[in-house]
Amino acid sequence: MEGVAMKLPSFKSLAPTAISVASTFSIRRSLSFARRSSSLSAATITADSEPVSLGHRARKDFRILHQEVNGSKLVYLDSAATSQKPAAVLEALQNYYEFYNSNVHRGIHYLSAKATDEFELARKKVARFINASDSREIVFTRNATEAINLVAYSWGLSNLKPGDEVCAPLVILTVAEHHSCIVPWQIVSQKTGAVLKFVTLNEDEVPDIDMLREMISEKTKLVAVHHVSNVLASSLPIEEIVVWAHEVGAKVLVDACQSVPHMVVDVQKLNADFLVASSHKMCGPTGIGFLYGKSDLLLAMPPFLGGGEMISDVFLDHSTYAEPPSRFEAGTPAIGEAIALGAACDYLSDIGMPKIHEYEVELAKYLYETLASVPDVRIYGPRPSESVQRAALCSFNVEGLHPTDLATFLDQQHGVAIRSGHHCAQPLHRYLGVNASARASLYFYNTKEDVDSFIVALADTVSFFNSFK
Amino acid sequence: MAASMSSSCCLSSLRLIPFKRTFFSSVNPPSKNLILRPIPSFLRTIVTFQKIPTVIVPPLSASSSSPSSSVDLQPIEELPPKLQEIVKLFQSVQEPKAKYEQLLFYGKNLKPLDSRFKTRENKVEGCVSQVWVRAFFDEERNVVYEADSDSVLTKGLAALLVNGLSGRPVTEILRVTPDFAVLLGLQQSLTPSRNNGFLNMLKLMQKKALSLEVKADDGTSESTTDEASVVEVDLESKPPSVVEVEESESVSKIVALGSRGMRIREKLDKELTPDELEVEDVSYQHAGHAAVRGSAGDDGETHFNLRVVSDAFQGKSLVKRHRMVYDLLQEELQSGLHALSIVAKTPAEV
Repeated sequence: MEGVAMKLPSFKSLAPTAISVASTFSIRRSLSFARRSSSLSAATITADSEPVSLGHRARKDFRILHQEVNGSKLVYLDSAATSQKPAAVLEALQNYYEFYNSNVHRGIHYLSAKATDEFELARKKVARFINASDSREIVFTRNATEAINLVAYSWGLSNLKPGDEVCAPLVILTVAEHHSCIVPWQIVSQKTGAVLKFVTLNEDEVPDIDMLREMISEKTKLVAVHHVSNVLASSLPIEEIVVWAHEVGAKVLVDACQSVPHMVVDVQKLNADFLVASSHKMCGPTGIGFLYGKSDLLLAMPPFLGGGEMISDVFLDHSTYAEPPSRFEAGTPAIGEAIALGAACDYLSDIGMPKIHEYEVELAKYLYETLASVPDVRIYGPRPSESVQRAALCSFNVEGLHPTDLATFLDQQHGVAIRSGHHCAQPLHRYLGVNASARASLYFYNTKEDVDSFIVALADTVSFFNSFK
Repeated sequence: MAASMSSSCCLSSLRLIPFKRTFFSSVNPPSKNLILRPIPSFLRTIVTFQKIPTVIVPPLSASSSSPSSSVDLQPIEELPPKLQEIVKLFQSVQEPKAKYEQLLFYGKNLKPLDSRFKTRENKVEGCVSQVWVRAFFDEERNVVYEADSDSVLTKGLAALLVNGLSGRPVTEILRVTPDFAVLLGLQQSLTPSRNNGFLNMLKLMQKKALSLEVKADDGTSESTTDEASVVEVDLESKPPSVVEVEESESVSKIVALGSRGMRIREKLDKELTPDELEVEDVSYQHAGHAAVRGSAGDDGETHFNLRVVSDAFQGKSLVKRHRMVYDLLQEELQSGLHALSIVAKTPAEV
């Protein structure tokens, strides 16, 4: 990797205007040549004699990445918003509809039995993926947002009421939470009177763990935090947080949307009470996500949505409810999508989550370093170091350039897809004192060339806009 | 849907009303006095007709950036002269990068907007970046615009609109449709996504022009706060500009007709020889909302409910009937009448 870094011209020594389109191509070519000769990941099993990075190998499975947009090759750097799906997942979905589509749980006939088997198998796959002890601890939802709302409405409304004590129950969040882990609690707090407290950031631009620890008291009923931040790229020490929370009898909900797709997440090891994730961020289809909840918690929770599937017996004046997870899966589920999610779990497991994580750690470092070398760029979140590993994403701003302008130009002129806006984290942006930011996020199918293309395009964009100042 | 601007206007705008059915309900009011049906809460968004006689491009076809789309675009000659120039300039510049340069050039030369005008009323909704637009009349009652944005591309677009529309009369501004954006060849302005700042900018500018006109008509001197009384029918825009009707409207408030009301009555009476004709001035409902929204209220004759029973509607579709009424009241629509709610029946249908 050092070899590659040296070949990339340092931006500080070049006048921005000197980077012409012609030179960008030559940079790209020389870098890709260097790439083939350096080994980037652990033992790779390929037909080629030369080692090829995980990104290069994986790309073959993603047809969508091989296209041109606006006259340039697509460089997709928005996986934190949604990931691309490999052929295997698409096949699984197609297969379902083509060969055994049928409603689950209710039917007797062959197709229905097969669909039910595959659906429940998918549940087992998800359970295994996060090392849940029992597949009944996995509740399929529409997405992570719905999963959090499920906990808020079902567990929250009954457990966040003031008890005998006069003081209101406390829910601890951070300012860096995604809206889906803020708004449902606001809604609950309006109904029950629970108080929400927010942990702010420390000087490293990560949530202040010491502050979090101090906030936890007997009044605390719930700590709801992200595992990996979709803006700051930082991670929280969930295991420790769970220990502190359980000491006072509080529960912990982990928003694992940015962690489950990228690293090994072991719910038993974390000992979290609730954990949520989205399928579409982990190579699965949209329309499905899941809630992991400890059995005893789920058993005690009242239903969220009412309807078929979640009942046991229905009378005119009352009904009895099914056991979890069915209790929280009203109506016909997204069967095909669940099965495709199972296929995604298989796909990722075949590559190996540790391998994916290892690759991404390197990619993350490379992204950060090259981005930080561009003048006037301000990256949010912690600096990577011995003790701090960043996720493979960077939210940033360029001095004097609005992120929307940046993203527009990158897309129109270079085919580079990044995101600009508040990334569903308005409180965080307000805290950081900005209206919006740009964000480039990577996944295991991205390569260092993608990063290089991005940086070159970014430099071109900055120089274009600078020439108008 | 294309060429003729005046009488086909209402027809085209009719087609785009999603809640048409509630408005032109054929439920007979039980008594002679027009009673406003309580509108179910989920449909409470009142749809009123703007007097913008434009052809609105359906969002779906706008997404194809080729000029050879199936929808006819507004002819360039109908645009204000400066805007025509701008469009031609952009058309002559082929390379996308050069177009952006041109856009940025406009933005750079845009007169800065004083920060005291960067208010909520002046902010364009649905923009990822922040955009403000201010409008006021000059001595000749032409609309002058000022705008600003923190994003230079958006500022360029705003500058384009400011340059193109400033100094023109209200009617000319209102005639402009977003079609010309296609001709500019700036792809980003065409995505019918919710964050389509360009479309929203144009809409806000038109809305402000209209409200300036209305205020001036009624002689109310105001600071340029947003007038809440005009609702735009737009399949993409966000709800904030929706005007709601208070639910208690099961009995109409009998308001004596002012001069416009009388003119409407006369016209319809004369031309349609109706068996029944009711003209009800409900402008107060919208004035009330303007008050709620913070501006000082509009007492002008801007909104009417009409109930017309006439043989003239025989054999005509609902849409044609409404068009007839609109055609008859063109003059009023041009001079401050915002919207009509019309019940048009033949004697047999009553």
